[in-house]
Amino acid sequence: MEERLNQLRASAMERLAAATSPEDLRAVDRDFVGKQGSLSELLASVPSLDPKDRPIVGKGANLLKRDILAEIDKRKGELEAAEIDAQRSGSDFDGTLPAAAATRGSLHPLTLVRREVESIFVSMGYEVLDGPEVELDYYNFQALNIPADHPAREMQDTFYCDREGKLVMRTQTSPVQIRAMERLKPPFRVICPGRVFRNEEPDATHEHTFHQVEGLVVGEDITVGHLSGVLKGFLRQLFQKDIEVRLRPGYFPFVEPGFELDVRCPFCTEGCRTCKNTRWIEFCGCGIVHPKVLSAGGIDPESWTGFAFGFGLDRLVMLRYGIDDLRHFMGGDLRFLEQF
Amino acid sequence: MLISYNWLQRHVDLTGIDPEQLGLDLTLSTAEVEGIEPFAAHMAEVTVGFVKSREPHPDADKLGVCTVDIGGDEDLQIVCGAPNVAAGQKVAVATVGARLPGDFKIKKSKIRGVASVGMICSVRELDLGDEHDGIWVLPEDAQVGQPVSEALSGLTDWIIEIDNKSITHRPDLWGHRGIARELAAIYGRELKPLDLSLPQTASAAGVPVGIQDGACSRYIALAIDGVQNGSSPDWMRHLLLAVGQRPIDLLVDLSNFVMLDLGQPNHLFDRKSLDASGIQVRMGRAGEVMQTLDEEERKLGTSDLLICSGDKPVAIAGVMGGAGSKVGNDTSELLLEVAAFDAVTIRRTASRIGLRTDASTRFEKSLDPNMPLQAAGHLVRLLQELQPNIHLPSVPTDAGDWTDPAMTIELRGSRVRRLLGVDLDNDAIAKLLASIDFGVGLNGDNLSVRVPSNRATKDIAIEQDLIEEVGRLYRYDNIPERRLTGEIAPTPFDERQDLVRRMQDRLSGGAAFHEVLSYSFVADSLLAKLGAQAGPYVTLVNPVVDGEVSVRRSLIPGLLGLLEKNRRHHTDVRLFEIGKGYLPENSDERGLPGEVHELALVWTRPEPGKKARFDEALFPQMQAVLDDLCIQLGFGQPCWARPEDGQALDPWFHPGHCLQGHFVARGNPKDSRAPLTIGKLEPGLHKPLGLSQELAGEAILARVSLDGLLESAKPGFRYQAIPRFPGNKVDVALAMPSAVPAGSLVEAIEKAGKGLVKSAELFDHYTGPGIGEGRKSLAYHVLLQSDSKTLTDKDAAKFISRLERLAGELGGELRSE
Repeated sequence: MEERLNQLRASAMERLAAATSPEDLRAVDRDFVGKQGSLSELLASVPSLDPKDRPIVGKGANLLKRDILAEIDKRKGELEAAEIDAQRSGSDFDGTLPAAAATRGSLHPLTLVRREVESIFVSMGYEVLDGPEVELDYYNFQALNIPADHPAREMQDTFYCDREGKLVMRTQTSPVQIRAMERLKPPFRVICPGRVFRNEEPDATHEHTFHQVEGLVVGEDITVGHLSGVLKGFLRQLFQKDIEVRLRPGYFPFVEPGFELDVRCPFCTEGCRTCKNTRWIEFCGCGIVHPKVLSAGGIDPESWTGFAFGFGLDRLVMLRYGIDDLRHFMGGDLRFLEQF
Repeated sequence: MLISYNWLQRHVDLTGIDPEQLGLDLTLSTAEVEGIEPFAAHMAEVTVGFVKSREPHPDADKLGVCTVDIGGDEDLQIVCGAPNVAAGQKVAVATVGARLPGDFKIKKSKIRGVASVGMICSVRELDLGDEHDGIWVLPEDAQVGQPVSEALSGLTDWIIEIDNKSITHRPDLWGHRGIARELAAIYGRELKPLDLSLPQTASAAGVPVGIQDGACSRYIALAIDGVQNGSSPDWMRHLLLAVGQRPIDLLVDLSNFVMLDLGQPNHLFDRKSLDASGIQVRMGRAGEVMQTLDEEERKLGTSDLLICSGDKPVAIAGVMGGAGSKVGNDTSELLLEVAAFDAVTIRRTASRIGLRTDASTRFEKSLDPNMPLQAAGHLVRLLQELQPNIHLPSVPTDAGDWTDPAMTIELRGSRVRRLLGVDLDNDAIAKLLASIDFGVGLNGDNLSVRVPSNRATKDIAIEQDLIEEVGRLYRYDNIPERRLTGEIAPTPFDERQDLVRRMQDRLSGGAAFHEVLSYSFVADSLLAKLGAQAGPYVTLVNPVVDGEVSVRRSLIPGLLGLLEKNRRHHTDVRLFEIGKGYLPENSDERGLPGEVHELALVWTRPEPGKKARFDEALFPQMQAVLDDLCIQLGFGQPCWARPEDGQALDPWFHPGHCLQGHFVARGNPKDSRAPLTIGKLEPGLHKPLGLSQELAGEAILARVSLDGLLESAKPGFRYQAIPRFPGNKVDVALAMPSAVPAGSLVEAIEKAGKGLVKSAELFDHYTGPGIGEGRKSLAYHVLLQSDSKTLTDKDAAKFISRLERLAGELGGELRSE
């Protein structure tokens, strides 16, 4: 009988070693351990054995059953591990197949850069204001120290909305300066991004509709030094590098002294197309708020001083993304927009 | 404006100052220099030659064959057709390889069979004047072999271009002397004295001048006799050429020279062509005409200031002289006019007749009324140097009621320091101001500043203007940068800005809409297509494009105008814009039109296929976008309803397929607002908008009023407990009469559930065979769920039987469960 047990063991272990699937393991289980299995048959025959052999066979059979079950478990684990190993292979994977089409929309590039500009100023304690695009002549010109006969009115090629010249498409975001002064108590810091209009034929570098960002700071002792400090701080954030600026005389009726602020070209060290080989890029007009403008806004120019600046957003966006034609911005062409 | 470096040297010694450095310093202290270029750079490639001989050309009578020594080893043989070329002359020779203006490159050639190596040039060929009746004969002392630019010192010059916009407020900078004054201050050098006094005249009575209008505040008339016109001297010609003025003849050149030197325009009349009664300065009359120097017939009007001889106009004041009294070759008796005219009058006339001249550009800057007499003196003295025999037969007439604008302004040293943010003491301030000829008296902390008349006409009027002068002469780039300090309150929350930002993010995300910015002006042609009511619109008086006069009331027309061109490249076009519209009927008391803020969306793509699910149509898709947006923004699910009968809708909405979304108004639960409108595109507009044939498809529009949303209440969000008991899912399909809206059936389902219906989701909507005419089938997944127990099949059966009864009441029946 002992020989029979050894045979069964050898046969079971051989089949288990050769098993390649869970079915094979189940078959071994059925053929040896199952109700009709060889071991069960052997155990069923125990009562008919010589009493001397009974414990040997019973014990041996149970031992064998335990070993077979253990081996099945072990082989099961091995087969599962082998299966996972097989899954791990990448041979059936084509990494060059296209991804499923993602549906995504886009934000206008002017929105993207405008948000950057806004968050930098908000982080420096500025409030973001809005103002009307169809504006009273009073806010667009008069209150900004541009009286009726001032040549600046012609310089700026205004769209007029009535024959009396009382209503205009705002030519600049500066009217919001007056609106801010009327509404806020100094000291304050505001910016106003928005669209402005000039009566110009559109081409690659001109548009009759474009975008500016106005800034105004009013406080007790605001100086020229603050103006360059603030704009430099802003530009450093925007271009993410230390950037040199310079102030030079510039004429705007609503500031005195008035400046042009140039930025050291962030794109080159030797001169390039963007800076027209001058190493400087004209960035914005700015200055100390004219006392007449403070008065028009209801602020006493003896007690308070301030600075104001205004820069073109479109140009910043063009610089940022290398866009060479201003007309894309208002053109509404998806082939342009969907890139952003 | 162009400035010549050599010309500046007449007024200030610039020794040792490189032109590039000069440009930079002017930019940083005075006015923007746009560029610096060498004058007549091509002259470096043109050599002084000596004509040794001129032989006739064997085959052409008019040509000569010259042997020219240019200082090289060999003489050049040059064929030349000029009649005046002769042996013994010094001439300008462009050798092989030289480039002349007009990108003309000199090559070896054969002219009628004779080799020619180089070219003997005329003045015009070298772009140094208009003379072309012969070659340019150089002075005898020109050294053979030298570049002409070195042989003639006036040709070595630099042209400095100043941005006109940067000096619109500076009447004093429109001549070389003004710029030189700035440079003298910048470099601490002396502005060379210049005798501008008028030489002695004879004592006869001057030319009579009558001024009939205040637009002329000063008019100086001076007779000059014994003049001989001709060419102006080379030095003057070269300076004029450097700043872009073509030399004409001595008198014209002299007049221009004085203007460009001092910035004061002036005019020379041929006195013989003038009426003996003298000059009258008056406004024009309707219908008057005059021929100007450029031989154009000008129609004059009552707003134009005219210079008249007797009653006949002979010049448009400050703009251009008349052809009839123009100086010419035989002019010998002159009348010199130097005047002060009103800036606005001159600007308007120049702009009205479209003739902006060097003179009008200067007059419109408000020139110093002291200058006319100085300019007259300058002109006469220059002429006298060239033609010592001229004489002045009568006293100058100096008419007009002008006043000297020079003024005194008190300047507080403390204010200078406070605004500029630099620690400049009063002596330093005084020194800076004195460097540009301001008179300064110190008076405690105050400075008493005398502003000279050439700065006081417009630019400088108040203390802060003086602070600008101090700042720019100190140089702004010397002012240290500072950081703002102070108390900062939290920035107030702006709900509209927040809405805009969140809308942009949501729509450009999963909803896959693209943000556009469209123009604020809508074309008449588009409005006509849309059949939009005539308005009212805010309209432009002076549009840039004819027919684009209307300022948008809504953003939708602008977006509709973009559909066709985008559909040509994209099957699915989803656009949105957030912006402003203007309603003139809502103008405030000051005349400012009502401003509306809105979000507009358009979506178009081809019709879905026959097998598409009912909710693949664009309408429910767009509705889902809006539902999602409103929930995301915190307003909750909008309540949708068809517009009431007779309610006015924008003409681009399909009147039958349109819904409005309502919310409860803030602070007043009974008031409900409809900030949302969604609708198919009006069927009649598909073709006019180009959405037909291969571009045909569904098109849905939506408008969200931001103003309306901001007036709507936000219900506030509360969390709901996760259900403790499992739900029971039941699918039901009901055949209903077509007229019964799905909404009524959902009400029936909810009623049948007696509070247990947690959701009822439509998953099939079918009309056609098997259902019967005038009927439709609607199938729902219904979830029954209780908060207090696990539901059994019995509960579901009860629900079904109640629903069967309720559906029956609506004229329908249960098809299956």
